[in-house]
Formats: sequence, C-alpha cells, structure tokens
Amino acid sequence: MAVKFRDYYEVLGVPRSASADDIKRAYRQLARKHHPDLQPAAERSQAAERLKEINEAYEVLGDAEKRSKYDALGANWKNGMDFSPPPGAEPGYARAGEWEDVGDVSDFFASLFGRGTGGRARRGDVRVTIPGNDIEGEMPVTLEELLRNTRRPITLNGGRSLEVEIPRGAREGTVLRLAGQGGPGVNGGPPGDVYLRLRLVPHPRYRVAGDDLDMDLPLWPWQAVLGAEVRTETPDGAVTLTVPSGSQTGRRLRLRGRGLPRADGSRGDLHAVVRIVVPERPSAAEREVYETLKRRASAPADRPAGG
Amino acid sequence: MSVSTPQRTRPAAPSVEPSRRAELYLSNEELARAAGISMTTLARLMSLGLVDPIAPGFGSPTFSAATAERLRRMLRLHRDLGVNFTGAAIIVDLVERLERERNRSGR
Repeated sequence: MAVKFRDYYEVLGVPRSASADDIKRAYRQLARKHHPDLQPAAERSQAAERLKEINEAYEVLGDAEKRSKYDALGANWKNGMDFSPPPGAEPGYARAGEWEDVGDVSDFFASLFGRGTGGRARRGDVRVTIPGNDIEGEMPVTLEELLRNTRRPITLNGGRSLEVEIPRGAREGTVLRLAGQGGPGVNGGPPGDVYLRLRLVPHPRYRVAGDDLDMDLPLWPWQAVLGAEVRTETPDGAVTLTVPSGSQTGRRLRLRGRGLPRADGSRGDLHAVVRIVVPERPSAAEREVYETLKRRASAPADRPAGG
Repeated sequence: MSVSTPQRTRPAAPSVEPSRRAELYLSNEELARAAGISMTTLARLMSLGLVDPIAPGFGSPTFSAATAERLRRMLRLHRDLGVNFTGAAIIVDLVERLERERNRSGR
C-alpha cells in the first residue's frame, strides 16, 4: 500500500525538538483557530478537514509512545512522499472488520497505528474529536413543495443521496433536522445530524406573508366599479371570485384556508389583491364611453382626493 | 458546505435512501437527546437563557430544529475548546451575525 508521508511536525508547526508542552500549546492554538464551529457556513467543511489533520498530528505527537514510533522513521521524510511502512511498523491491532466504522484517519496514520485507535479521549486532555460531523446546508424549495409536503431527493456533498420529506409548516429559513444522517461517529461515537436551511425560490405569482399568500388580481376598471365574478387560479385549482362593486386597488379578497399549511394541520389564507388595470389602447367605442363618463361623472373634484 | 439538488432526470435511482422524515420541532426530551445532554443540563441551559423554546405553552414540541443545530455547536465549542456555555452561546451568535453580514454584502 503506497501512502503519502505526513509530516505531523509541519502540521502542528513545531520543530522536531519540541517539548510535550510546546506540542500541546501549538495544538490548542490550531484547534481554536480552525474549529469548524467558529467559521461561517461556507468555510466549515474546509475547516473540518484541516482540524482532522491537526487532530491526527496531535494524536501521534501528543502521545509519547506513538511519537517515538513516528520519530523512529527518521527525519528524511517530507510531506507527501510515497511511504511504505518499514518492517515491524505495521499495526498489530487493527481488526479488518472494523475499518469502515472508524476510518476517519489518513491511510498514512493507519499504516503505522491502525484504524482502531481513532479515540483521542485520553484522560486530562482537551478532547477535540467531533463524534460525527453535522452536515449543514441550504436547500432551495419551491412554493409548491411547501404547499404539498412533498418528498424531495437531495444529494449531500459526499455524494450520498437522501429523500427528504418536507414537513407541514416548513417556511423560508426553517431548519430541517435529519437525525443521524450526518458524518459517521469516530470511535463509536454517535453519527452527526444533517441540518438543512430552506431557501424559498420566489414564485412568479404568489408572495408569502407569514402563513398567508398574496396574489395580484388584475381587474378592468368597470369590473372594479360594478363588481364582477372572475375566474382565477389558486394553488388548489381555479376558483370563481366575487368582486364586490366599488373595489379599489389594494382591496384584499380573502380565500380562507388556501394559504400555506401549518404544522397543526390548519392552513393560512390566500389574499387576492385588487389591481386595477386600464386599457392602454382603448377602441373607438371604448373611448366614446369614457368620454361620456367623463362628461357625466358626478365626482365632486377634478380628480380623487389624496396624492 | 452546500447541498446540491440533483438533476431533473434521475436515472433509475441507484442509491437514494428511502424517505427520511425531517423534523421541524423537538420536545425537551428530543432536544436533549439530539444534543447528547441530560435533561438536567438542558434545564440549566434554559434557565441561563441560552436555549430558547419557540413559545411557552405551544404544546409538547417546543424547540425548533435550528435550536438543536445551535445547541450542538455550543456543546462542541464547550467540549473541544473549553469555552463555558455562555461564551459558547456568544460565539455562536457572533458567527451567525458574521455570516449574515457576509451574505448581505455578497449579494
């Protein structure tokens, strides 16, 4: 097995002559600097990788026995060189059957110490192992998916595919938890969780306002003045809406229970918001009617109040 | 870390795991289990105001999944770096704020 040599002294940034205290200090500083939970989400996975290297280096250099075994390899190795363990250095206690379960160490480490020693929980030490990393990510969802708690296939960074059922009551910014679906635990620790933050893809027709949905209801002026029965689409199919006479722009017509589903099983409302649209190119006949209207209008001022 | 959505045309699903029920809300017990702490520790964190229920009297599920995420982060900082709980809560707040500012300026 050709593996790459790892210079653990370089990882911790200490000379080969460093004392145990120096190593511990360097380790603590690096752990503080690279801890994934101190990084913004975008840099978290990178920091987790780095922290893993740091942990591995400390696992060896922070342990007198492992360190002397490592030092016995000599100082001629450089980071990244092809490495095969010298005779007698093979791990005596790595049981093949357990490899996949605990294998969160490099092949180089495994070639010297086996994989069965993933635990760093030595008494009196700061424990920096993360028992199964949480996976955090954003998941874009459409309004349709929120409306009918659909199942949604996702692919995690590692390439693993899951199907997630979007629960009732989910909203923009809601965090979903998938228990135990994160990284595997090291040293028998519990697996991490997956946390998905939902990002709602804007819908061309519906706007979200809490549990309610707003939609525009464009009307001709005469429909708004005289009232009308109009057909309109809703997320639950087409409905006929009764527009009361004298409806101004901005009037909200409520369709109860056609908004977003809540966790308790009820639903928010859908509001059709009146927007009066004037004909931009009136026909000759329409012009005539509007001229008549203008002459005969009984409005008290030359234009509506306000503004 | 990002989660990518798969392509529209999915080939005869080779390794998609069966549907996982995503959790939105957690009860006290579920939150304690999610964070790997005892109910006593959870009660202590709550009394320190470091863990907020969604709304008192909401029924049995009282925490959001985001609270679990936050709490796990706090506990890792406590365990790995020796920060006390209040300090860990402050750090999580600051990192979240940093992230929001960065998202805002990045857009």
